[in-house]
Amino acid sequence: MEKGMGVGIMKKVFFFCNIIVLNLLNPLMTFSSDQIPGRRQERPVALVGGMIHPVNGETLKKGTLVFDQGKITAIGKEISIPQGAESIDISGKHLYPGLISGNTTMGLTEIGAVRATRDMTETGRINPNVRAEVAVNPESELIPVTRANGITSVVTAPRGGLISGTSALIHLDGWTWEEMTVKAPLALNVNWPSMTTIRAWWMEKSEEEQRKDREKALNELDLAMKEARAYWVAKKARGKVKTDLRWEAMIPVFERELPVVVWANEIQQIQAAVAWAEREKFKLIIGGGYDAWRVTDLLKRKDIPVLIGGVHRNPSRRWEEYDLPFALPSKLYEAGVRFCIASGGWTSNERNLPYHAAKAAAYGLPKEEALKAVTLYPAQIFGVDDRMGSLEVGKDATLIVTTGDPLEITTQVEMEFIEGKRVDLSSRHTMLYEKYQEKYRRLRED
Amino acid sequence: MSVHYHTAIRWGLLFALLLFVPEAEPQTAPPEGLRKNTPTVHAFVNGRIITAPGKVIEKGSLVIREGIIEAVGKKVKIPEDARVWDLKGMSVYPGLIESYSEIGMPKKPKPEKRDEPQSRVTSHESPVRGASYWNPTVQAHHKGAELFMPDTSEAKKLRSQGFTTALAVPTNGIFKGTSVLVNLGEGKANELIVKSQVAHHIALERNREGYPNSLMGVIALVRQTFYDADWYRKAHEVFTRNPKLPRPETNEALASLVDAIEEKLPFIIETTDELSLLRADRIAQEFSLPLIVRGSGMEYRRLNAVRKTRRPILLPVNFPKPPTVETPEDAYQVTLREFRHWDAAPENPKRLKEAGILFAFTSQEEDPGTGSGKSEHKEGKVFLDRVRQIVKRGLSKEEVLRALTTNPAKLFGVEKRLGTLEVGKMANFVITEGDLFEEKSKIREVWIDGKRYEVEPIPEVDPRGEWVVNVRIGQEEEEWTLTLKKDLDWSEKASAFLLKGKIKKEKHEEKLKRALLTRSKLKFVFSGDSLGHPGVIRMTGIVESPEKGETLEIYGRGEWGDGSEFTWSATRKVPFKPEREPLDSLPDKMASFPTVYPQGAFGRTRIPDQPEVVVVKGATLWTCAPEGRIENGDLLIRKGKIVKVGKGLKVPKGAVLIDGKGKHLTPGIIDCHSHIAGTGGLNESGQAVSAEVRIGDVINGDDISIYRELAGGVTSANILHGSANPIGGQNQVIKLRWGGTPEELKFEGAPPGIKFALGENVKQSNWGERFTTRYPQTRMGVEEIMRDAFRAALDYEREWKGGGKGLPPRTDLELEAILEILKGKRLVHCHSYRQDEILMLMRLAEAFGFRIATFQHILEGYKVADVMAKHGAGGSTFSDWWAYKFEVYDAIPYNGVLMHGEGVVVSYNSDSSELARRLNLEAAKAVKYGGIIEEDALKFITLNPAKQLRIDHRVGSLESGKDADFVLWSGHPLSSYTFCEQTWIDGRRYFDREEDRKINENNQKERTHLIQKILTLEIEKKKKEKEEWKKEWELE
Repeated sequence: MEKGMGVGIMKKVFFFCNIIVLNLLNPLMTFSSDQIPGRRQERPVALVGGMIHPVNGETLKKGTLVFDQGKITAIGKEISIPQGAESIDISGKHLYPGLISGNTTMGLTEIGAVRATRDMTETGRINPNVRAEVAVNPESELIPVTRANGITSVVTAPRGGLISGTSALIHLDGWTWEEMTVKAPLALNVNWPSMTTIRAWWMEKSEEEQRKDREKALNELDLAMKEARAYWVAKKARGKVKTDLRWEAMIPVFERELPVVVWANEIQQIQAAVAWAEREKFKLIIGGGYDAWRVTDLLKRKDIPVLIGGVHRNPSRRWEEYDLPFALPSKLYEAGVRFCIASGGWTSNERNLPYHAAKAAAYGLPKEEALKAVTLYPAQIFGVDDRMGSLEVGKDATLIVTTGDPLEITTQVEMEFIEGKRVDLSSRHTMLYEKYQEKYRRLRED
Repeated sequence: MSVHYHTAIRWGLLFALLLFVPEAEPQTAPPEGLRKNTPTVHAFVNGRIITAPGKVIEKGSLVIREGIIEAVGKKVKIPEDARVWDLKGMSVYPGLIESYSEIGMPKKPKPEKRDEPQSRVTSHESPVRGASYWNPTVQAHHKGAELFMPDTSEAKKLRSQGFTTALAVPTNGIFKGTSVLVNLGEGKANELIVKSQVAHHIALERNREGYPNSLMGVIALVRQTFYDADWYRKAHEVFTRNPKLPRPETNEALASLVDAIEEKLPFIIETTDELSLLRADRIAQEFSLPLIVRGSGMEYRRLNAVRKTRRPILLPVNFPKPPTVETPEDAYQVTLREFRHWDAAPENPKRLKEAGILFAFTSQEEDPGTGSGKSEHKEGKVFLDRVRQIVKRGLSKEEVLRALTTNPAKLFGVEKRLGTLEVGKMANFVITEGDLFEEKSKIREVWIDGKRYEVEPIPEVDPRGEWVVNVRIGQEEEEWTLTLKKDLDWSEKASAFLLKGKIKKEKHEEKLKRALLTRSKLKFVFSGDSLGHPGVIRMTGIVESPEKGETLEIYGRGEWGDGSEFTWSATRKVPFKPEREPLDSLPDKMASFPTVYPQGAFGRTRIPDQPEVVVVKGATLWTCAPEGRIENGDLLIRKGKIVKVGKGLKVPKGAVLIDGKGKHLTPGIIDCHSHIAGTGGLNESGQAVSAEVRIGDVINGDDISIYRELAGGVTSANILHGSANPIGGQNQVIKLRWGGTPEELKFEGAPPGIKFALGENVKQSNWGERFTTRYPQTRMGVEEIMRDAFRAALDYEREWKGGGKGLPPRTDLELEAILEILKGKRLVHCHSYRQDEILMLMRLAEAFGFRIATFQHILEGYKVADVMAKHGAGGSTFSDWWAYKFEVYDAIPYNGVLMHGEGVVVSYNSDSSELARRLNLEAAKAVKYGGIIEEDALKFITLNPAKQLRIDHRVGSLESGKDADFVLWSGHPLSSYTFCEQTWIDGRRYFDREEDRKINENNQKERTHLIQKILTLEIEKKKKEKEEWKKEWELE
């Protein structure tokens, strides 16, 4: 957005006014109830005349995209629209794959301060067996709010302890968690212990206590791996093994079916996590990755991708450049390290994910890369790029229709399809908005 | 040093003296057993006497009697009744004064751990012993002279560093009580105390629990206490005149302060860094206190500001250890600020001297980790080593001595009794071998009140040198060579002098495993294997000196490895010649870089220039004024003020020209809710009402967030108290003048305000199970506690208007601030979420006749926007935060726009040093959610917050006459892809992205340089130690 932005924005405002009108006419909006999940796609849909951004290919002006039974069947300029298809004119609009968020607790938490609504942290430090998907609350108000900004799918992950459990990739629409789940288990989540000693005034623990804590945690993690491996070996040898759910859950990790996201920001954590994963022969994804740019050689050589835990953050060291976190994605890109951009994990604000990517673009990352970093790259890193992440024939029809670049705040998402289902873009927020618009309309009438 | 006893006592002289001097050691206690009356007359001759800093008598004499110096000089007649001490090769210094210690004071109780269940409520209603101040941290009535308990081991440690006198300071509280000056000899407190009330001590140290648990709370308490002392004096004066009046309370703490102020006793405020010193100075100014500061060692970082205070400093000699840089990863954890401090700290005293500041040294160091706790005195020679380092880094020995003698004597009001070796002064002095401030010199003994205290005993014989040893094995004899070396250091633990040595037989050589000299007995142990005597051999012998001179002999016995015994004798052939070569093991290199403000990364050597005229040409100007947006516009600035905004402006000669082509220019961003740039906690949670605390007391210009936010276009911020209490503390509006002192950051003329808070935070909903009793616990109680405070303020006003009869009213800073609110002189910024509480507060305010300036957060403002508009309250909100607690479950991103639509002045704030870096994009959300025009959206972060803070006559828009606070953007300010290129405040370029790159590059170079400096020094040190060792053991 350079010159002429003003005009563009004025147009967008205009469009936005239209949406409200359109939405009022939309049959979905006539329900006064909460948002209702989209219907299964019953006939082909053709989105006609929009600017198609497949993400992994050339942008197509005034193109058409057709999807049927939840899958994209055709993309192009001159394609025939199947008979019986619903044809939607999206000229002047833009078509993008749905955005994928790599770091949330969606459905596991509703209100941070209310304990009863927190389901992301199981007690104890070694919980490889707990599974995020089974605790996802499809009624969470956070889901429609997030979805409304073009985020169609999120990784929801357990938190806390050393081994938090397995995450799931879910779609942000559906009647039950089963229906929403795209892939689970998706990855094991490990929190690497702090490897540095904090000497700040607020730190209540002495250097010695911190060192002991660190040793204790590392030993605990080590011991868990040894025991789990013994279980796996015994099981393979068809020994009489009594069930241990924790170690049972580790088997796909040992068999390299399930990747491990190790949350590690500081360089020594990253180095230790890489060494650990090498030794254990795990498929590793670094989560957070604040210092990843300092070890790009290592990450590149081992082909370890980084799930960047938020671009909107402060430098963690006083002496670092103010824009270091903003420039992290571009540094990884330039070094050839695979990465995707996630948010900082504050799930009620997950709708701001695209702006993390945009910030990276403002500080050096090519714009196309920024877009990929929240679409194709997370799909690749989590192994779902056969279905999602770009607009290609054969992939799921999980896509959004927007008034412009979804990484620009002022852009509006006008339509959203998840596996071909058209989803409701209203939310608790739009409902309250309408309710109070009504209050002031009435006040003016009186 | 030999001692001769003169038996002839001149009775006449003693009699004459008795007329003037009371009997030695006047005391009230009866003697136990026999009276001890060893004569107290001593003469020290042939010594090098340093009578005062800069005054030396070579080969002088010093005579003391009854603990007082009787004569000193080159030609002094030695009284016949004196014991004469020959000080050949020795020096005498005035006794050193430790200007701050906790010797003999009760230990400070350890803070309780936080997880232990305990109510945060300070109940000052439960009875306590004695008439103390309501807040237990005010212990002004504690007297060092009453608390002092002689501590022989601590005194000994201090003596080993040459100290003969120390200031002993009570350890506990904010007002700690009065310190006492004590001599470091042995005896009862009655004898040791030199001056029983030296100063009142104030530590700006916060509690973990209870009030005050923030630094600003501490300062507020200090301030209120001084007001209370003043009131106490007046009230009792009135009461004394008219005892029929109601009796004012008795308060020993306040009484003590009243006395101190009347007697002009100094106040010593203990500081933790240079900004803390400036804070102490402000407190002292406010109450005209004679202030002495206990410094931090960081004064050089703001030398100019420190100089302007003209306060004397008790200076800890506490240099940081070199930061850990063994691996590059370790070094990442070290800030440039720490590196620079390591490099420059030993130069602090020299720089203070150059700035003309009076200081005295203390060996007690602040625990650098916590900024509050204090470590014990370090054993050994750490202090003197550091003092020697100060000398190497440029402070003259004379000044060092001054800081240890005459300066503290003067500061503590004992300059007539202590500090120099002059007739009539106390006989406190130090006898050294070598120059006290040179390495390898030794303190042999100190004399205190005319009594001798050995520090390092002098051996009766010096056995060092080369010996020929004859060992008798049966009928045969073997000849060995014994070499004894090393410093002959006294070991307290072994009660012996330590030696090193080796035994040589023909070509075989063995190092002695252990060699000790106790009185005249020499003992050593070594392995006999290579000498042809398997096993460990032990030998002892008495060193004898048959004739005068250097010939020495030993006769002794020993035991072989097999248990059989033998005898031996030895004669010294070559006596030991000590080498007096000073060893440079510590850095004497000067600091590597000039001072920057603030110290550390991104600091500047001075604040940016303010060019006479600046013109920005051809930018898209977002004026936030009636002109709206001007494409291809120009901005003319003169002396920090905007002069013209328009198109095609002429560029005056000499103007600094900025090409704005393709760029956008907006007013500086104003963050109406921020918690940066403060220190010591901005949330005083110790009380439900804390209107007396002031953010302005704790502004910290060194916070790196200031720089980072400048890089996001923020130029002004409203620094607010936290939301722990219904009526919080007073806010401070600042400009982000990075590099400035706290006072320079303050937005001059911004109207005062105060933080209020409603809802979950103030009723402690999410504080945990321990917090369920402080009033209020419901929204109902929140209203009542506010009403109570308002009514109390009105009562207070009446009391002051009441007229002259009766007891004088007491100044209550809490109620003063609340009264200002009621009078409309203090703006209320109220943290709030739910519509019920928002409405409640507006109605309450209306009932008391004032208006709420802004509701902060105000996430349900959209539900009562019409009432807000009518009331006149502004809404300073988050763009889209929600669901982090129950009361924000109804928060919606349309809030801002809905309020705006009803006529409320709306701003978007950050409440976060991270979010503040991209407030322009928060403004964009007003376009996204609710679709207002871009120009209005931008006002949410510029003009509107300026209006809310009542500073819109100065900032918030690009208009003639306003401050030149603006941001130059790479593109459209509401685009996610735009970044901030330059940020200007007062016509000064405080941030420039290009310059930032250069500063960073230099910072990286500095880091590398300092890391290398540390590593090189460590390697050099190791090398030197090795060389030293080798030299010592070189085979001839």
